[in-house]
Amino acid sequence: MNAMNAMNQQLAGYAPTPVTARMENHGPAMLKVAMQSGYDLFARTGSMVAYEGFVQYEPNPPAVRQMASQWLTGEGAPLMKCTGDGLLYLADYGADVVVINLNNDALSVNGTNLLAFDAQLQWGVERVKGMAKFAGQGLFNVQISGTGWVAITSRGTPIVVDCGRGEDETYVDPDALVAWSPNLKVKGKRSFKASSMIGRGSGEAYQMAFSGQGIVVVQPSEDSTDRLRARG
Amino acid sequence: MAREFQRGHKAKISDLTAGTDLYVGVQIAGAGLSIDISCFGLDASEQLSDDRYFVFYNQPKSPEESIQQLGAQAGDTESFRVTLDRVPAHIHKLTFAASIDGAGQMSQIGPGYIRVVAGGEEVVRYSFTGAEFSTERALMIGDFYLKDVWRFAAVGQGFDGGLAALLENFGGEVAEEEPQPEAQPTAHPQSAAAAPGFAPPPQATAPAPAFGAPAPQAPPAPQAPYAPQPPAPPAPPQPSFGASVPAPAPHQPVHSAPTMVGPLVPAPPAAPYGRPPHAPQPPGPPSYGQVPNQQPSYGGQVPPPGPVPAPHGQPAPYGQQPPYGQQPPYGQQPGYPQPAGAAAAPGLTAALSRYKEAPTGARWTPQNHQLMRVDLASGGGQPVLARQGSMVLYQGKVDFSYKGAGFAGRIVGNATGQEMQLMRCTGRGQVFLAENGAHLHAIELQGDGICVSAESVLAFDESLQHEVRRIEGHGIPGGALFTMLFQGTGTVVVKTHGTPVVLPVTPTTFADSNAIVAWSAASQVIISSQVRLRRNAYPGHSGETVNLQFRGAPGNFIVVQPYEV
Repeated sequence: MNAMNAMNQQLAGYAPTPVTARMENHGPAMLKVAMQSGYDLFARTGSMVAYEGFVQYEPNPPAVRQMASQWLTGEGAPLMKCTGDGLLYLADYGADVVVINLNNDALSVNGTNLLAFDAQLQWGVERVKGMAKFAGQGLFNVQISGTGWVAITSRGTPIVVDCGRGEDETYVDPDALVAWSPNLKVKGKRSFKASSMIGRGSGEAYQMAFSGQGIVVVQPSEDSTDRLRARG
Repeated sequence: MAREFQRGHKAKISDLTAGTDLYVGVQIAGAGLSIDISCFGLDASEQLSDDRYFVFYNQPKSPEESIQQLGAQAGDTESFRVTLDRVPAHIHKLTFAASIDGAGQMSQIGPGYIRVVAGGEEVVRYSFTGAEFSTERALMIGDFYLKDVWRFAAVGQGFDGGLAALLENFGGEVAEEEPQPEAQPTAHPQSAAAAPGFAPPPQATAPAPAFGAPAPQAPPAPQAPYAPQPPAPPAPPQPSFGASVPAPAPHQPVHSAPTMVGPLVPAPPAAPYGRPPHAPQPPGPPSYGQVPNQQPSYGGQVPPPGPVPAPHGQPAPYGQQPPYGQQPPYGQQPGYPQPAGAAAAPGLTAALSRYKEAPTGARWTPQNHQLMRVDLASGGGQPVLARQGSMVLYQGKVDFSYKGAGFAGRIVGNATGQEMQLMRCTGRGQVFLAENGAHLHAIELQGDGICVSAESVLAFDESLQHEVRRIEGHGIPGGALFTMLFQGTGTVVVKTHGTPVVLPVTPTTFADSNAIVAWSAASQVIISSQVRLRRNAYPGHSGETVNLQFRGAPGNFIVVQPYEV
């Protein structure tokens, strides 16, 4: 019993903090969602690490299946619908979690970097033109808008760059791209010179060129492996 | 765009920034030195005729708060906030000075700078080092001065006698016992002109009423935003800093703003002021300007999606908490300042403001621990060589070309099977570099040399001389350890897995050849195989670990990462 107490004291710093919002960080890499009936949540399949209360999960919900059917090849959508009351903890292999409270905003998120979002938000799956990478590998890109909460992940501390600042386009390594403002113009760009090889990959040097007024969120890592998916 | 000033450079503030609400940061430090930084508000004849404008640790602000001392923050040893359009008319010059308290002299200080930040962006910086000084004990670093318009000058002038000499230079005297050295004029403002010992200001002698004049316009501006505060003070959301610098418009609303945003503010970033390096943008400004109504409505108190208390017996059910997100215990990445309550304000901009790009300034600017931005145009515009694949984003006209592996790549590649290929970035623009979330460290060389393990090099200025060195030894994977020796003037960006340790070289300094990152070029490397130690480490292991021993004069160092490649 005493040992138990001692242990509790040492770990006390990691106890959940009181809930103050629908979504909160628990440390840099874990997301805590206060679930409530009537306010459903979409989360990446496999991202749940713990929950408390009565939360139910519906993998491959019809809404998602329909929405994502164009891109996915019969494997089932990588989103699950969470309903119920309680506290839900989500994480993606230690990636940094960024919580965003959308207030009538819109954001495009790379599917790999999307962790969870309120079901009440408007969302859609889209393909980025010219980006074979997204179409071929079952990766998808989700545009979210409205008012509600979104959590995205980033491998390392992300950086937000204002595209409108420079007069030129902003070029991003697609492997490092996390999210962007949907009103930006996006186009794929191949390598610039025959001999140049930028970005990672097998000889295919892609950049995505953004222009217009808006932001781009980039992670300090070119590791865009979909770990949740790899787990199967 | 930030400008680098040399000693003696001057510029109009209006050429630097449209704003008049400025953050002034001073960094100055030296081993064992205790340095005070103060701001002197001088009159037209450069005299300290009103000691209420001597802003220092005992008097952190001027009466109408146009000059405020904010303390150390954001990498600056001391910082000030200066609202130029509220500086009273009789103050013609603000001199920022550093003085050594106790023993020491200015030649002992390390590299330092004074910088001016406006609207969340650094607009000018003047850097100096101890090498420029000798026995001085005080230093006038930079001035704001009024010559038709406010201007900024990089001064860099030393004073032998320390703070006392500085004060005398400004027409003051140090009264030993007095907390306020030249208290006389303050005590009897009416007689300021007549006060002996101070050259009376030639113009209008600024009698007391003159000081008071700005005050009514600017009621005791809330100190609130600068101090840690309970969540929802009627504090203005600090529109001025980080806002896209409103023209010097009717100025006092900027800071005496309680009227502007009433008590609704849920929790505006509690310390936005002068947090430049990492999150310069308080949530407000619509600088992204994409979705018209995206601007976080401060007063909004957006109702939580579900106001009904959660029925499952949470201690503090979500939805009942009134202030919806005051202190998200969130994102405590160590090491860089963050607004305490940024996530409180709803909206995309607010949530992401902490990750905002750091203000431009130096050629190499760390954005966070894992991202480095290089501004190719600044600092001579020489190209940068970077490891291929390390570019995550760039803006501007930048050309990337393949840098032949003839250089280090072939050797390293052949020997270790792991090729090191570089790309050459030229042009004008900003390139953001990162690699797999490794910690990045910019090491600035000024004529000295450093050896970096080839695997740990991320990027470097092409102006640096570099050569590949090969350290051979049994047991080193691939037969040899490749290091790159950099010499000259420029910056090397080194990546480490995890937080590295920097050890001084002593007669008994050893490092694992797999974990070593870099060492100062003057130290000598000796291979020492400690066979016995690990002979029975585990079956199949040869028992041969290769350690590197270092020899060198005091002052040499090695860098080791907590990760064995």
